[in-house]
Amino acid sequence: MLRFLAVIAAALVFAAPAAACAHPRTSLNYLQGQVMCPTCHTTLDMSDSQAAQQIRLFIAKKIDACWTAKHIESALVANYGQQILATPSHKGFDLLAWWLPIIGVLAGGLVLAFGVWRWSRRKEPEEPVEPTDSGLDEETERRLDDLLARFD
Amino acid sequence: MTRRLKLTGQVVAFALVAGLLALLLWSVVHQKHAPGVGSMAPEFTLHKLDGPGTVSLASYRGKPVVLNFWASWCEPCKYEAAVLQRDWASYRGRGVVFLGVDYHDLNSDARRFVSAHALTFPMLEDGSGNVTDRYGISQVPETYVLNRRGRVVAHLRGPITDPGFADQFQNAIAKAAA
Repeated sequence: MLRFLAVIAAALVFAAPAAACAHPRTSLNYLQGQVMCPTCHTTLDMSDSQAAQQIRLFIAKKIDACWTAKHIESALVANYGQQILATPSHKGFDLLAWWLPIIGVLAGGLVLAFGVWRWSRRKEPEEPVEPTDSGLDEETERRLDDLLARFD
Repeated sequence: MTRRLKLTGQVVAFALVAGLLALLLWSVVHQKHAPGVGSMAPEFTLHKLDGPGTVSLASYRGKPVVLNFWASWCEPCKYEAAVLQRDWASYRGRGVVFLGVDYHDLNSDARRFVSAHALTFPMLEDGSGNVTDRYGISQVPETYVLNRRGRVVAHLRGPITDPGFADQFQNAIAKAAA
């Protein structure tokens, strides 16, 4: 009985912080891929530097305090600036980072399509000469007639 | 028509290659180097760590300045802090200014660091590291000593507590104050 009560009490203690969140909890793993290590210029999950460890601890504390991913990212941007995020923002000059790859792929596709079109046009076979009833072209047939006429 | 198209393609390709080369050249020329001894220290204006307001380096022109770059996550900075505070207390009467620049750090942790080490000289925050980059800081702590005209007298890459740096630091302050 005593053991059963202890298990219930432990479950309540550990479940309490999770239950306190009004929204799904974000995870440290997810945010580690979204946030840069400021001193090593890799994402947090690829760094074990002291600065990365400090940010990791900060994120873990904020997740425990039920902060959303957006809220945590905003707090980090306030401290470190926009470059702390692994992905550029969707406004101003940063938009180029989103649009340039798309423009590049489209331009590449256009160039490729144009090249294929031109190549296929160059390789088009010439109009075949219509064969006559005898299976010979007109010129050959005419020359053949001339030759045969000599024997008449 | 085909010839014109070919020519246009060549011009576009050439312009693209020239543009990329220009970009490469620009990035090489504008690489951030640490200001050398005798050169002017880069100007900056940074927010104070412990409250509202900003501080600019230019406002200290006419005084020797010790510019120390640190972060709360940096282990050697912890050992260096006490020595910096002691030297600040010793030199402030002689008009030497000490400025701490906290970089790539959480403000809350940085304030705790300042409080824990009882540091009383002005502390500035450079979370983005923009100013720190202009000083070519690659590891913390690093310290610059500037003379009254804002020129670099010494750049110490490492804690001033290092045996090799202790004398160099004192000599640089003496030279900057002369």
